Amino acid sequence: MIRIILRQLGVLFITLFLLSLLAFSLAYLFPGDPVTNASGVLATDIHYNAIATARGFDQGIISQYFSYLRHLFSFDWGLSLQDGEPVWQEFKFRFPATLELSVLAMALALLLGPPLGVIAAINYQKPIDQVITFFSLSGYSIPVFWMAQLTILFFAVVLGWLPIAGQINPLFDIPLVSGSILVDIWLADSPYRGIALLNALQHMILPVIVLATVPLVLLTRLTRNACVEVLRLNFVKGAYARGLSTTEVLFKHVVPNAMQQVTQHISTAFSLLITNTLIIEVIFSWPGLGRWLVRSIYERDYPVIQGALLLLASLILLVNVMTTVFHAWRYPRVRRELNAT
Amino acid sequence: MRHNDLYYEERNPSPLQQAWLDFYEKPLARAALYTLALLLFITLFGPVLAPFGANEQFIDALSLPPAWSNHGDLRFLLGTDSLGRDMTSRILHGARFTFGLPLLVVCIAGILGITAGAMAAMNVGVASSSVQHLLGVLFSIPSLLLALIIIAVIGPGLVNAAIAIGLVFIPQFLLATRTAIIEELNKDYVIASRLNGVSSAYLIFAVILPNIVKALVTQFTLAFSAAILDIAALGFLGLGAQSPAPEWGAMLALSVELAYNTPWVMALPGLALFITLISVNVMGETLRSTLQARMEH
Repeated sequence: MIRIILRQLGVLFITLFLLSLLAFSLAYLFPGDPVTNASGVLATDIHYNAIATARGFDQGIISQYFSYLRHLFSFDWGLSLQDGEPVWQEFKFRFPATLELSVLAMALALLLGPPLGVIAAINYQKPIDQVITFFSLSGYSIPVFWMAQLTILFFAVVLGWLPIAGQINPLFDIPLVSGSILVDIWLADSPYRGIALLNALQHMILPVIVLATVPLVLLTRLTRNACVEVLRLNFVKGAYARGLSTTEVLFKHVVPNAMQQVTQHISTAFSLLITNTLIIEVIFSWPGLGRWLVRSIYERDYPVIQGALLLLASLILLVNVMTTVFHAWRYPRVRRELNAT
Repeated sequence: MRHNDLYYEERNPSPLQQAWLDFYEKPLARAALYTLALLLFITLFGPVLAPFGANEQFIDALSLPPAWSNHGDLRFLLGTDSLGRDMTSRILHGARFTFGLPLLVVCIAGILGITAGAMAAMNVGVASSSVQHLLGVLFSIPSLLLALIIIAVIGPGLVNAAIAIGLVFIPQFLLATRTAIIEELNKDYVIASRLNGVSSAYLIFAVILPNIVKALVTQFTLAFSAAILDIAALGFLGLGAQSPAPEWGAMLALSVELAYNTPWVMALPGLALFITLISVNVMGETLRSTLQARMEH
């Protein structure tokens, strides 16, 4: 087990190293002046020369990379070219907002997806299975931005049940502490905390549901296929022959074995979810990382693109490695296979 | 699947026949196949079929609902948008960008990626398995995010979006091909034909290729549906096709503010996109299960 963790950590470090190399080289790949692209300081600025020296631009490329890393770890990510704000300050508020949305959506997907898959598998090729399969196929195929528009039009505009966009009604005046709205309400010292929470949750329902759809149907499909496969195996027959009830067979033998195949795909579901966050945040005006990244591409705000890319990609890589480690820890058979190679 | 002919010989249908039989048996798969054929036809001949030009404006017919509603006009079957452009024509023109372009991009990426992957696999040792492992982790970064970065470097636009998507998919094809071939290389039948002394070109094309078709087809259909979705998403975000182009994603982006007054402007491109994607996915799934069943025979 320790060997696996060490090896995964090694892979993580090497990929993060490659990623930082990519992010560093982006300063040169982007059109324009590399010093400006990396730091957000224009060539007309009086500090320009000092910054260029601090970032090692008067030296070779290798010492530039090391000073880039130094700046990275001291959270000096440069200034935004749009408004001159320090990039890291902005990230600190936007990242929790994104994380809040994606964690809730992922939790919803994990909560509903596998059970639906199991239900479909035990009713294999019966009407219930066909309905679930149909919905999972359409959920997988529906373009997420169209689905968001449809839900907004239906639930927010026609029915008027839910707010259209945003994080919370600005009238509540919740002070920005962490960026994640639920945590902020928790920390806020306002007499209307209860109503504010309700309002924030209302704002959250649509984006979370739309965001959860793709990972949810992915997990449903995977669970269904894995369960159908396991149900055909001999040990299931054996368990029935020993006189176990259907529930016992299902929960003691089928589901644990089927989940083994599903677990390793959680990271795939998560990376799909992060992709969709970019789009969903734009549609729902969620003040998160994705909307900021998209806007900074319009505005050619290179320091922001660099930072947002690094943060989102390392989040995905981290989840990927964590899933692999969890998979190996939870399932000894996988561990043995990993050790064998 | 066996046919009895005159001499009661048993024979297996060829892969194509088998696939056709499978598609014929399942109504949903057959519908998907016909839809895709129709889409291909529209992609090729859309501008000829369309009654009007994609950006032709009719000042007297702004925001007309589809023809079957009370205020509709039969000239504009699916209505017009807020600038008086015919929706039917725009959707027919748009198939080229939303269906044809991804198809072209994925085909090119597939050819390059599979060739490179086969070469990489045949020269084992150039890239060891740990490199493979590393690449696998790196490519868990979703394609849209990578495409966004490439677009940030080369700038927005439809051509650039297509280039970005293509660049993202080449390594994925490479990796899938390489994994599939390396898995086959250790099997007995490959070793047997190696002992027969065949050339490596023969080994790839005649011995291994028929056995990795499933992996390649799976990768191709997955990449195709992802490419359609990504190009439309980039169009929607305003980073792909630019505004007057009738790309379905860009059309959806235009409709955001008008969805309440003219819902058909939003519903139609989305519906077209949805039907396209569901057809590609159903076709991919059916092909996969056909090839799987064939392998198991």
